[in-house]
Amino acid sequence: MYYYSIKKLFLITVLSVIPFLCEAQEDDLLRELDSLNQNEPKFELPAFKALQIGNLQSTKVVDKGDLYLVVAHRFGVLKNGIDDFFGLDQANTKIQLLYGLLPNLQLGFSRDSYEKTYSGTAKYKLFRQSDRVPVNVSLYGSVDMNSQLKKSLYPGLKTSDRFSYTAQILASRSFLEKLSLEVAPIFVRHNLQDLNFTKTQTHNQLLLGMGGRYKLSKRLSLNMDYAYNFSKNKNSLYKNPLTIGVDIETGGHVFQLLFTNSRASNDSSFLTETTGDWSKGEISFGFNIVRVF
Amino acid sequence: MKTTKILIIFCVLLSLQLQAQKYFTRSGITQFEASEKAFEPIEAINSSTTVLLDTNNGNIVSQVFMAGFQFKNALMQEHFNENYMDSYQYPKATFKGKLDNFSIVSLNANNSYDLNGVLTIKGIKKNIQTIVSVKVENNRIFISGSFYVNANDFDIKIPSIIRDKIAKQIEISINYELIEKK
Repeated sequence: MYYYSIKKLFLITVLSVIPFLCEAQEDDLLRELDSLNQNEPKFELPAFKALQIGNLQSTKVVDKGDLYLVVAHRFGVLKNGIDDFFGLDQANTKIQLLYGLLPNLQLGFSRDSYEKTYSGTAKYKLFRQSDRVPVNVSLYGSVDMNSQLKKSLYPGLKTSDRFSYTAQILASRSFLEKLSLEVAPIFVRHNLQDLNFTKTQTHNQLLLGMGGRYKLSKRLSLNMDYAYNFSKNKNSLYKNPLTIGVDIETGGHVFQLLFTNSRASNDSSFLTETTGDWSKGEISFGFNIVRVF
Repeated sequence: MKTTKILIIFCVLLSLQLQAQKYFTRSGITQFEASEKAFEPIEAINSSTTVLLDTNNGNIVSQVFMAGFQFKNALMQEHFNENYMDSYQYPKATFKGKLDNFSIVSLNANNSYDLNGVLTIKGIKKNIQTIVSVKVENNRIFISGSFYVNANDFDIKIPSIIRDKIAKQIEISINYELIEKK
């Protein structure tokens, strides 16, 4: 009798386990499905939403076939107050068209009010952050032509004097979900310089750009960029550019509202010809409107 | 003695069950469409859906990686992953369900089956009931069909500024060709 009851107990145990076995089987099916996956596509968060962090280029490159229109305004310094309506009377405007010619390659053309500068730019994405490469790396180059210089005023002016160039290596990484940081070694070449400002001839300059963004929400982020100039004379009137702003993304638009000590938006000018001093309140309001077509 | 017999039978049945016959694919096509008339089409295709079907009982599971959805517009794809699906946090969606009264023996030409199950997107589970067409040809099982889901149900937030451009009811179409798993 005792033996029988043990048997019965065993049977009951086995029977009671059956529903769990069935359940386990369905989960087994899911597990088996998991083992079928070979290369899982992984989504890497893009480091930046727009093509610039503020003034500094970001690692983002226009996708092939996409056309972007970027309208940038840099107003006069805020500290003049109501007299010129916080700088609104002194606006510099840059209108830029960017096109994704090839996968990972964008070409751009722009006109900036600052020194009536025409610019041609190219950006190429070398690496995208992934399991294999820990950073995004893009190469960027710009040619800026100052069309404001008049031959009637400077009889010795050569065409080549109008040109300035930049070459930049942009490296960024997104950390966790919200924070992205970028460093950018930059070379700037000016064929012509105003010695009243630069004090010594520094036709070739080296800078280190730094920038970052912190996402406050999915479509809103706080951005900052800065470039340290290793080459400029310590008495130079030019300052290192510092820009702080926000990105607001709404589908096909990104609105970048920012404060900066730079009046120019083209690369060689904002990097090495920034005159505003943050500590003296020589800050301008500005914005970039980025629209994709 | 009687109980031993029952146990033996049970064990045999169980072992049969364990040698279940299964069909699978790694290249199933899952598409969705959330377009509104007069606006830019919002649609994407995923051609790397994995599906596994147990032909003994009709149990079926499938899985898609969000990053595998291809859009015509790369920026839209980025926004899909970053802003709507949170693909960084929730890289995949799974479905676990059953083809009711499924029997591979009685399958010949086109057959319709009730498909019931649970769809998990962004960690949120939702019951799905639909009818799919199932046919067998050259020892391959073809499953196709479509159903609707609500963006709301999966906590997919659409900002008011583009609310008119994205359909609230999203149509999901499936097209799977399964081969025998050996």
